Amino acid sequence: MLRFKLNGEWIECEAEHNETLLDLLREKLGIKSVKRGCNVGECGACTVLLDGRPVNSCLLLAPLVEGRSVETLEGLRDKPIMRELIEAFVEDGAIQCGFCTPGMLISAYSLLSRNPKPSEEEVRRAIAGNLCRCTGYVNIVKAILDASERLRSED
Amino acid sequence: MEAKEVFERFSERESFLVIGRSIRRFDALDKALGRAKFTADYVERDALVVKVVRSSLPHALIKSINIDEALKIPGVVAVLTARDIPGENQIGYALPDQPLLNDVKVHYVGDPIALVCAENEEAAFKGVEAVEVEYEELQAVYTIDEALSEDAPRIHGGEDNIAVTTRVRKGDIEEGFSKAEAIVEDIYETPYQEHMYIEPEAAYAIPEGHNKVTVIGTMQSPFLVREKIAGILGWSLNQVRVIQALTGGAFGGKDDMGPLVCAKAALAAVKLRRPAALIFDRDESAAYSVKRYPARIRYRSGADAEGRMTAAEVDITVDCGAYANRAPFWLWRMTAHAAGPYEVEAVHVDGKAVYTNKVFGGSFRGFGDVAMHFAVESQMDMLAEKLGLDPLEFRLKNVLRPGSRTTTNQLLDHSVGMEECLRGVAEASDWWNRRRRVKRTEGKLRGLGVACAHHGISTSRGAPDWSAASLILNEDGTFTYRTGICELGQGSQFGHAKIVAEILGAPLESIRVEGPDTDSTPNARPTHGSRGLMLGGSAAADAALRLRSRMVKVAAEMLGCDEGDVELRDGRAYDRRRPENSVSFRELAREMYIRGVSPAAYGFYAPPRRYFDPETGLGVAYPVYTFAATVAEVEVDPETGEVKVVEVWPSMDVGRAIDPLLIEGQIHGAIAQGLGFALTENLIVEEGRVLNPNFKDYVIPSSMDMPRVSNVIIVEKPYRHSAFGAKGVGEPAIISIVSAIANAVYHATGIRFRTLPITAERLYRALRGEKP
Ligand code: FES
Ligand code: FES
Repeated sequence: MLRFKLNGEWIECEAEHNETLLDLLREKLGIKSVKRGCNVGECGACTVLLDGRPVNSCLLLAPLVEGRSVETLEGLRDKPIMRELIEAFVEDGAIQCGFCTPGMLISAYSLLSRNPKPSEEEVRRAIAGNLCRCTGYVNIVKAILDASERLRSED
Repeated sequence: MEAKEVFERFSERESFLVIGRSIRRFDALDKALGRAKFTADYVERDALVVKVVRSSLPHALIKSINIDEALKIPGVVAVLTARDIPGENQIGYALPDQPLLNDVKVHYVGDPIALVCAENEEAAFKGVEAVEVEYEELQAVYTIDEALSEDAPRIHGGEDNIAVTTRVRKGDIEEGFSKAEAIVEDIYETPYQEHMYIEPEAAYAIPEGHNKVTVIGTMQSPFLVREKIAGILGWSLNQVRVIQALTGGAFGGKDDMGPLVCAKAALAAVKLRRPAALIFDRDESAAYSVKRYPARIRYRSGADAEGRMTAAEVDITVDCGAYANRAPFWLWRMTAHAAGPYEVEAVHVDGKAVYTNKVFGGSFRGFGDVAMHFAVESQMDMLAEKLGLDPLEFRLKNVLRPGSRTTTNQLLDHSVGMEECLRGVAEASDWWNRRRRVKRTEGKLRGLGVACAHHGISTSRGAPDWSAASLILNEDGTFTYRTGICELGQGSQFGHAKIVAEILGAPLESIRVEGPDTDSTPNARPTHGSRGLMLGGSAAADAALRLRSRMVKVAAEMLGCDEGDVELRDGRAYDRRRPENSVSFRELAREMYIRGVSPAAYGFYAPPRRYFDPETGLGVAYPVYTFAATVAEVEVDPETGEVKVVEVWPSMDVGRAIDPLLIEGQIHGAIAQGLGFALTENLIVEEGRVLNPNFKDYVIPSSMDMPRVSNVIIVEKPYRHSAFGAKGVGEPAIISIVSAIANAVYHATGIRFRTLPITAERLYRALRGEKP
């Protein structure tokens, strides 16, 4: 029996020794915001937070999250930073097909949590592992900078 | 269209309600919240997992297929082969050369042979391994030259490996060249490009009761998918229900792949009477799905002493790969755009598409125009240099203008904004000054390049095209709009909603768009050829206008005023003379229902009929063209050969901007894909095997690679026969960026690349004297 914190709540479930966290989340736990783009750690569509840090869930074996905290968009969408990011993504045209969006948002969230005032270069670097084939990243970078701006003017 | 006048009236509105404004698209929020459902998100846990058994050889006869061992694997439920196909085992697009499952012969590494259907993925993979196929290997053909050689094996029988040919004969070519002061000739080659949409192809099929199947999948042409599935199953169209799920990027590839994946899932579900899902793995998608067709172009063109183009002689060969698929269309598009967006008196074009034993090509943003313009725009630069002219100046002398004639002698009488696009980017980039200024900065080489593009909207060769949509006014005053145009990320459906909102004066949030479901949405035909907004949106407009006239009629009676005085705005009908006198759409709807005035409208749109003669290649090839120009600045590191695109200035004549933010999005995305095609995306295919089917080795641009993108210059030269004058925008931007980069690299280094991509390694070698 595997026990870990999913979006703030401790849960218990079965997991095969060779099952990835991505499989566990999507197929068993019904967490569908986490996307499978490559399954080998190269696209970032499956990004989740593990103890607050972004990781590719397709590369992580599920048993390794024992006792740790996993967060996905389902759990993060009401947090102030994420709310601002979502708003900015929608507003700035940072979303086209939307398949990369959840992973992208999580990388951006992690960045703004650590560094509320990133430079453009830092934003680009933070999402370098999240591939997007639709937007050319221009409006994604803009949205993340806008969100950071708005968060700062709020406090 | 009876609604033509009303159209014009709307188009001349001084200020629009929603058209032309950037409005947050209504589908973005669900996507941002992670609630948007893509195909894989629909799959239930008890669904069968379908995996494809593929050919391991590029060209071979199938002697036998043994599934016995596979069936013994626990969890494997069935292995389906051609024998299990109840209908016709044929899925070819343009030509009937492509079986869904091969049982006679395989034509490329990856050609489908059987479907393993299993309880779980692991069993399915084991099953695939266990299917034994016995082959008799045939000589394989990998290149255009091999395919055309006398003794080449015939891949699809017939007399040779040529799938299709084209030609254009316009003007006197000898005379054209005799007038030329400068003539240049070269051979250009463009490679495969893999779509690398982040969501791989997927289909989920559910058997429904007696002889019916529902298929949810990634696609661009739901009605084509339905037709192909029905053919495979031997069923009628109304036994197949096809639903397009939100699709995670498509770029043309999923137009071609839609029928292929959906028909396989449908076959499994119907044969085994269980829900079945086929989801491609990344390497499967990258190695075996369609790619941008490789092409080779021999181009000879000339210009006179004044800098006017006089002649162009073009010879095109498209490498189809294993199946023709879209090659006839691809080739015709290249052929019809062969002179580029320039006026050239004499143009001769000969084209052919040939089979090889490699993964087959197919639709990809820009279609053949990326390759064609790469040749054209390189030639233009070289001619300008030979004549001692500035390349942008030289283009300005020759661009298509109202009154010009195209490659196919099509008269362009309106909606021609090429010159404005080019002048726009010249000014924005400060071309003449910057071109002189840029050169060496801290050991790096800088260069500035320009390129133009034109792209015919809708289908080639004057083939009839049309679109349909439906609109219902619900009892509460809200609207349900249905379109068969797919949401692929581009936001066409939102564009349709804006058109409806504008015409009906309805709040955008009162319009709900229902996407493609072949059981309920009208057939809007494919979402390709940049036609989704122009054709689909014009059908939306037609539906809205029809409904509007009924709403106005009833409202006039309710308000006791003339129909001419009724104004629809903010979800209410007003008496223009006494604005305090109004009824809400809810009240209006109820009245219409009570009176038995139909609250539903079916919209239909067809652009004007066109004449095209395939023999001479002359005539109206497309209803209208979108134009674009791009300036790009690059920085080359001579130590590594690496090219960095520093800044890009894009412009486009979109006819009418329905939503500037959506247009910008299309252009940004196209710049990224074009940048990848020009510089890094290098699919390695050896002896028919794709060696780098993954993101690690097939490098698409990341956030670190994107240049600064200057504000998009939107030129509006409305098209007379579409809703509000809009033209398609999805494809043209990728056409000009590729050549602009290549031309900038030349400006920076003096090295002209005639093949793509310009990888760091190639440039590094070229800088050290090797032939590029
Ligand atoms: S699915 Fe995990 S990185 Fe691509
Ligand atoms: S929006 Fe489509 S992949 Fe990013």
